[in-house]
Amino acid sequence: MSSPTLPPGLAIQKADERIMTLNVGPQHPGSGHMRIIVQIDGDYIVACDPDPGYVHRGEEKMAEYRNYTLNVPHLERPVIHDSCNILYPYVLAAEELLGLEIPERAKYIRVIASELNRCIYTQYWLAIYGIFLGHSTMFMWPAGDRELLIDLMEKMTGARVTHSYFIPGGIRNDLPANFEDVCLRQVNYFEKRIKEYADVFYNNPILISRTENTGVLTRENAIKLGTTGSVLRASGVDYDVRKKEPYDVYDELDFETNVMKSGDSYARSRIPWLDMMESCRIIRDALQKMPKSGSVRVKLKPNPKGEIGSVYKRIESGRGALGCYIVSDKKVEPYRVKLSVPSFRNLIALPHLLIGEKLGNMPSVYWSLNYWPVEADR
Amino acid sequence: MGTATGIIRALNSGIKHIALKRFTLRYPEEKLKFVGDGYQFDPSTGVGIAGLKGRHMLFHDHCTGCQLCSIACEGVAEAIGMVKVPEEWKQNKKSIMPQIDYGKCVFCGLCVDACPFYALYMTNDYELSSFSKEGLIYTPAQLAVKPEVAQDSEIQISNRGATHG
Repeated sequence: MSSPTLPPGLAIQKADERIMTLNVGPQHPGSGHMRIIVQIDGDYIVACDPDPGYVHRGEEKMAEYRNYTLNVPHLERPVIHDSCNILYPYVLAAEELLGLEIPERAKYIRVIASELNRCIYTQYWLAIYGIFLGHSTMFMWPAGDRELLIDLMEKMTGARVTHSYFIPGGIRNDLPANFEDVCLRQVNYFEKRIKEYADVFYNNPILISRTENTGVLTRENAIKLGTTGSVLRASGVDYDVRKKEPYDVYDELDFETNVMKSGDSYARSRIPWLDMMESCRIIRDALQKMPKSGSVRVKLKPNPKGEIGSVYKRIESGRGALGCYIVSDKKVEPYRVKLSVPSFRNLIALPHLLIGEKLGNMPSVYWSLNYWPVEADR
Repeated sequence: MGTATGIIRALNSGIKHIALKRFTLRYPEEKLKFVGDGYQFDPSTGVGIAGLKGRHMLFHDHCTGCQLCSIACEGVAEAIGMVKVPEEWKQNKKSIMPQIDYGKCVFCGLCVDACPFYALYMTNDYELSSFSKEGLIYTPAQLAVKPEVAQDSEIQISNRGATHG
């Protein structure tokens, strides 16, 4: 009779006097909604097994029972701080299936909303990264400065988080009056503020000594493991979906991608910060080039039916390339919606990075992966 | 840059910010200012009007009891139910109107987009907490009341930092 299969971490293992198994999470605040099973020999990690799946919500299955419009509110739930970006590939794919042509002004407003959301997400992530390294100033500052952009999103979309703003056919509502001036003023101040993080955090010798040369991901391994976004760019691969496969109006905007060579925790934490400055540049450029008036939404028939076929679209979110695959069989509901999320791709690198590190370096390596547990489980 | 210089710089940067203003909103005393009168939708153009997605407002003289808001909410939160109203309206033969459970509502505003008769809007009212579950259920009569929302704080940016002024 074979022994029953137990979930990893619960199985009784052969006793080894030197190796200790340690469960970090799922209730530990330093792990997010997931568990990391680490085996340590003294102070050094010898094996690591990330165990996600505690916040699985069945978003993909839910999407098969709702029409293309009503899928919007629940599909943004996996990353409520980056809700415009997680909806973006779904909306792009749905528009292609429904055969919609989007007005020019809506495309620009989408880009602005998407970049504001990227900054909001990155500030939130930076606050968490700061507090888990024991740097409480770096928790307070990003959490406070995030308010500038949350306020803009609230004026624009009517909600501070979970905006439900993008919709197949364009965007829900036009910008309020005088929004351009307010946006420009607050984004300029925001950029000035994040530049001040350099002295207190990024050039701080204490941070550098804790994160430099920890969890090094080489260029070859980064490509082999299939990482995306800031993790990939920190390892020296210049890959940004906004540049390589421009969607909406990114090909008309002026920005650059940030690449670092070292591939350690420090580079991975610095790249999102540099990206925020590029985002401010994109927002300013888009505000200038945006058509000043015009329609923002195509009028949809009630319960539109998608053409038979399948579409895959992807975008660059706050964490990396985020894709959405929709299969349609000419019904009101999509036949299948698949989200290909960057968090899960970056998590795959974790066991490779942690082996040989000290246990004390685990938070700095784990959070530098720009990982959002709820998105990985979706 | 040496370690000592770096630490002194970091400390210096932090100390400079002691004098600056902060994003602290003293919430019950002062409240945020919003644009517009809440999220609205114009069915003739198919585009919404920017505003906060707060508590709904129902116009009894426009509502026809067509249930489109309720059907839209079935796929989202199942917060809207149609109930009988005592009054009789010319346009509403069945005398049914939406009743909204704010324990379930996610404030996405898709019910407002679904209404073709300019009957359902959203307002700036966001303080909906209640001591009981029943207190969160708003009847058509409660939804018809226009809320009074105090709005006094907006983000002010100066050389001494940004704050809710």
